[in-house]
Amino acid sequence: MLSQSARATAAEEARYRVDYPNATPRRIRIIALDRSAEGVVRRLARGAWNGASFMTAVRGEAAPDWLGSLAGDALNLLEQISAADAVVTVSTAGESAEDVAIIAEVCHSRRIMLTALVIDPDALPDAQLLRTVTPLRACASMLVVAKGEEYVEAMLTALRA
Amino acid sequence: MLRREQNDLLTQTGPGTPGGALFRSYWIPALLSEELPENECPPVRVKLLSERLLAFRDTQGRYGLIDEFCAHRGVSLWFGRNEENGLRCPYHGWKYDVTGQCLEVPSEPAESTFCQRVKLKSYPLVERGGILWTYMGDPARQPPLPEFEFALVPPAHRFVAKRIQESNWLQALEGGIDSSHVSWLHRGELNSDPLFKGSKGNQYNLDDARPVFEVVESPGGLYIGVRRNAENGNYYWRITPWVMPSFTMIPPRGDHPVHGHFWIPIDDHNCWTWSFDYHVRRALTETEVQAMRDGKSIYVQFVPGTFRPLANKDNDYLIDRPAQKAGRTYSGVWGIAMQDASLQESMGPIVDRTKENLVSTDNGIIMARHRMLKAIKGLEAGAAPPGVETAHHRVRSAAVVLAPDQPFIDGAKDALAVREGVAHATV
Repeated sequence: MLSQSARATAAEEARYRVDYPNATPRRIRIIALDRSAEGVVRRLARGAWNGASFMTAVRGEAAPDWLGSLAGDALNLLEQISAADAVVTVSTAGESAEDVAIIAEVCHSRRIMLTALVIDPDALPDAQLLRTVTPLRACASMLVVAKGEEYVEAMLTALRA
Repeated sequence: MLRREQNDLLTQTGPGTPGGALFRSYWIPALLSEELPENECPPVRVKLLSERLLAFRDTQGRYGLIDEFCAHRGVSLWFGRNEENGLRCPYHGWKYDVTGQCLEVPSEPAESTFCQRVKLKSYPLVERGGILWTYMGDPARQPPLPEFEFALVPPAHRFVAKRIQESNWLQALEGGIDSSHVSWLHRGELNSDPLFKGSKGNQYNLDDARPVFEVVESPGGLYIGVRRNAENGNYYWRITPWVMPSFTMIPPRGDHPVHGHFWIPIDDHNCWTWSFDYHVRRALTETEVQAMRDGKSIYVQFVPGTFRPLANKDNDYLIDRPAQKAGRTYSGVWGIAMQDASLQESMGPIVDRTKENLVSTDNGIIMARHRMLKAIKGLEAGAAPPGVETAHHRVRSAAVVLAPDQPFIDGAKDALAVREGVAHATV
């Protein structure tokens, strides 16, 4: 007689897996931390996503707030992060990522997972990379240094963002 | 989550498939050297990348890996007679050499050259580090032999074994680079397994239940770093290298030998789990080797005469529910290797990744898939994939304590490279 495991793991049994959405889309905030990363986030925002919202923490004279929409409107940092299931920051190697600290503080207080992605296409020397990753390392629960911006899309797709 | 077509690309490795072309870019382990222990020994059936092959060692000690079936009537040459520099089909006497070249067709006239026009598909088979390696790709693009450190240390410093895993290779690989499962599934073994227990690193593991992860691309694949708190504000790092397509090493613990794996597709529903242990500075002790033979650590006990684990799906992995309830093993399955394999096989032969819900700590898996999909695309455009160059093989795992402001890729740079005669960096 077949064991339960032998019977259950047969190839033909795969078609009996329950066909039902086993999770609802996660609300993920994707926040650019520098100008170049903002360009990446803008390109990604044109795609079709389930629960992803794209924004920027790059501040200028016209947008002095901590967080802004890609259209230039001010966003309330607390409200945005509180409404998220996960937060992903996007940075460019060599650029400052100090602004992550305030985002991380809110994430930690709300018990929201913070993932930091650093795009390092030129494989910068360690000293320059450190400028970016040191503040991120202090805050993020997951830090990824990727060579190309296409990884941001791959990761968000994998997370069903 | 992967789209169905992406899942197919990564999980299908038969002839003519893009994923198969990727695997056919590398030297891959085919069988243990001890499976062909002497000249003219019995041939061994080998299925790799969905191709039925036969390995044999001829009168002069040359190794061959050829199509399993006689070109005449399709008889399995496993029944063949290994004699006088060739393998002779017992049905009608056709004889082949290690390159698959037919040497004799006895029914033809003595002067006939017919046999010269008969040649079975064959692949090179080369011994290194207790393993017979093969390359199943385009001969014009055959890379140099692999230079993984474990395969180059003296034989007494090394132990190699293989077992059948009844799942697609990718499920097994993804378990190998999923550092976050160790604190759950294997928590009972950290302080009890003879090849794991006793290291200071285990205490860091158990004291900090909220590890932080970092994933960094390397030329040949990835480094996956897991950080836990150590004394004086420092961090304890465990760093796992992955070299494409399927080589990983577990970070060391104390002075124990270092463990590692390859996962090689047999077909799309089964793979070989290759496991190795080695120590750079010393021979393995009798006690260590005995523990490996007894199925401790990353090894298993076998159904006698086979490479099938004794605990397998036909006996529900000998699951011990009272031990699970009492917390003696977290899943109820005994042994690190079968704890992994039982869960990976439970997903079915090829898990439907369109249904999964990955989380941020799965970034090692996400990045590995991303790099393989990219490599498949690059290969179609003629680019050699990462992991082919022997320089990519010369990596190590490491367990180190670093200052908080030091990135592991910088602070452990030396520790992650092969240094002749220098032991692994370990805590």
